Amino acid sequence: MRPRAVMAAAFLVACALVAAAGRSAHAAGAATAGAPVAPVVQVGGVPCVGADDLARLLDGVQYWRAETRRLVIRAQGHSLTFTDGAPIVLLDDRTLRLEAPVRSLGGELQVPVALLAQLPHDSASVHLLLEANGTRVRVAPAAGYVGPPRIAEGADETRVTLVAGRAAQARVVSRDREHFRLWLPGAPAGGSPDSLAAGGRVRGVRRLPAGEGVTWEFALAPQVTGWSLATAPSQDALALVFGSGAGLERFSASGPSGPRSLRVVVIDPGHGGDDTGVTVPGVAEKDLTLQLARLLAAELEHRAGARVVLTRDSDRPLAQPERAEIANRARADLVVSLHFDGAALTTAHGATAWCPPVADTDPDAEGQLLVPWRDVAGRWSGSSRALADAVAGALEARGLGPSRVRERTPVALLGVNAPGIALECATLTSAPDLVRVTAPEGLRDLAQAIADGIVAWARHD
Amino acid sequence: MTRRTWALLGLLALALLGYAGWHWARARFAPPETAVAPADTTQVGLRAVTLWFADDSGDSLVSESRQLPDRDGLHERLSQLVDALARGPERRGVAVLPAGTTVLHAYLDDRGLLTLDLSRAFQQGFHGGSRAEDLVVGSLARTIGSNVPEARRVLLVCGGAPIASLGGHLPLDQPIDPHAVP
Repeated sequence: MRPRAVMAAAFLVACALVAAAGRSAHAAGAATAGAPVAPVVQVGGVPCVGADDLARLLDGVQYWRAETRRLVIRAQGHSLTFTDGAPIVLLDDRTLRLEAPVRSLGGELQVPVALLAQLPHDSASVHLLLEANGTRVRVAPAAGYVGPPRIAEGADETRVTLVAGRAAQARVVSRDREHFRLWLPGAPAGGSPDSLAAGGRVRGVRRLPAGEGVTWEFALAPQVTGWSLATAPSQDALALVFGSGAGLERFSASGPSGPRSLRVVVIDPGHGGDDTGVTVPGVAEKDLTLQLARLLAAELEHRAGARVVLTRDSDRPLAQPERAEIANRARADLVVSLHFDGAALTTAHGATAWCPPVADTDPDAEGQLLVPWRDVAGRWSGSSRALADAVAGALEARGLGPSRVRERTPVALLGVNAPGIALECATLTSAPDLVRVTAPEGLRDLAQAIADGIVAWARHD
Repeated sequence: MTRRTWALLGLLALALLGYAGWHWARARFAPPETAVAPADTTQVGLRAVTLWFADDSGDSLVSESRQLPDRDGLHERLSQLVDALARGPERRGVAVLPAGTTVLHAYLDDRGLLTLDLSRAFQQGFHGGSRAEDLVVGSLARTIGSNVPEARRVLLVCGGAPIASLGGHLPLDQPIDPHAVP
């Protein structure tokens, strides 16, 4: 190779290396920011964790004494003192000796991870663990870890096994067949659930966000009629059994199987009067919701033979209690509140269906007998979720997505005693969504898609 | 090009290679070095806090860890967190708190109910639909849940008065469990 070619190649390689070095440093920092984990770095061949990360994981406060190059971390009622270059750490009034010194790197002290084994493990303190592959330090949750479900399909029943530190505290939070949910205290670990057998009793498994725990949701086949839950003698595992035999607990009534009633549909055009909703130049949400409501009403009367009631048929303000009263007086089988979304983020787009969170709707369950009227829509959470899924799916099928479902009771369903959703049909602040909605047939397409979803929900197939 | 130009290019390439090698070796072997001494914080400690912002797609929240001066009082701690949320992320994500939002008062009762009274700008400065509303409330609630563990439930009020909702889509008339925000 000629010398000038060699030099040109060396120049390009050097540039690539410089860029890669910068990228890797940035990525390492970004990947763990805010998470209850911290990376382990090799300092002179010694695995270490940064003092900033250590303080963050311990929820501690750092005090730096520049003249003595000492760092004090006060956390969980304890005090840790590190000195730059010394293999000695003071833990309260005790002296801990490390095999390697604490060293400064880039302005931050690096602490050998061997210290973790010597930290106090009293009940009030955070417990830190070095992950099995030695690349990260992690906060061990007080409640331990929750493993993924292992599913074994048998001839008469399906057995789902879950390993969890506090399996005895597991509780079923929804007994709906399509959204059967089990909550366990702890943090998720151990990878993904097993792949599902074709034609099996368990048709779907997913993990839901849950406060201070893990919720697993199972979608079950129609032939499954009951369930049972048993904790293993070791107390760190449980078995959930699904089947159709006698002796199993029954699922909650989410309405009789077969077609759902669709005699009266209440459509609630959002906003009105002084309340314009989201506005973009030339378009107000309150006008779009009213136009769409009229189109959807005609569609449902034609396709489902339903009697349709609109909460407002003109541009006037309407408070939520009035909207709820109209729906309840009409004895609605279904309520759909129509909205259009808007956001400061121009990248936000698509539709969102809001429904009450699916909870334990068993009418015999303790504490379920008295429900504040404000939250009465929660009685219909199972069928409302099914409606949200059906409408979101119908929007996607007609290319009007992306659509998402969120379980949080919207204002539009407060005091409404019927299955229902609040539907943000599109995002007006998204240019592609706005063009689609304001096109000559845009609202008609939306009305047809929403009607598709409602009819599919009523078929209950 | 002349021989001299090529020689200069070669020297530049060697210098870049040397820098890349030094960068790599520093990250890999980390020889002790003279640290850039952080400011002396003997009097005021630094505490790691976790802040929650909207992600770039506006679909969910993303966290950011930051070192902030340690504050003693509840009002001071919450003011500091809300100010940091209003200033926005330093890395990825987008600030969602309405401009001008500040903490007027904060009160924590003995059952863990935190009543957080925010300036009127919190409600008046909000424009958007349900998803934007969800992100604003989620950003506040999650940030409180991550950094004020004694607050088991949070009731947001505005200008000293209760609010039914931020933008009319999601209810705020009852306390929120900051650990149950999806």
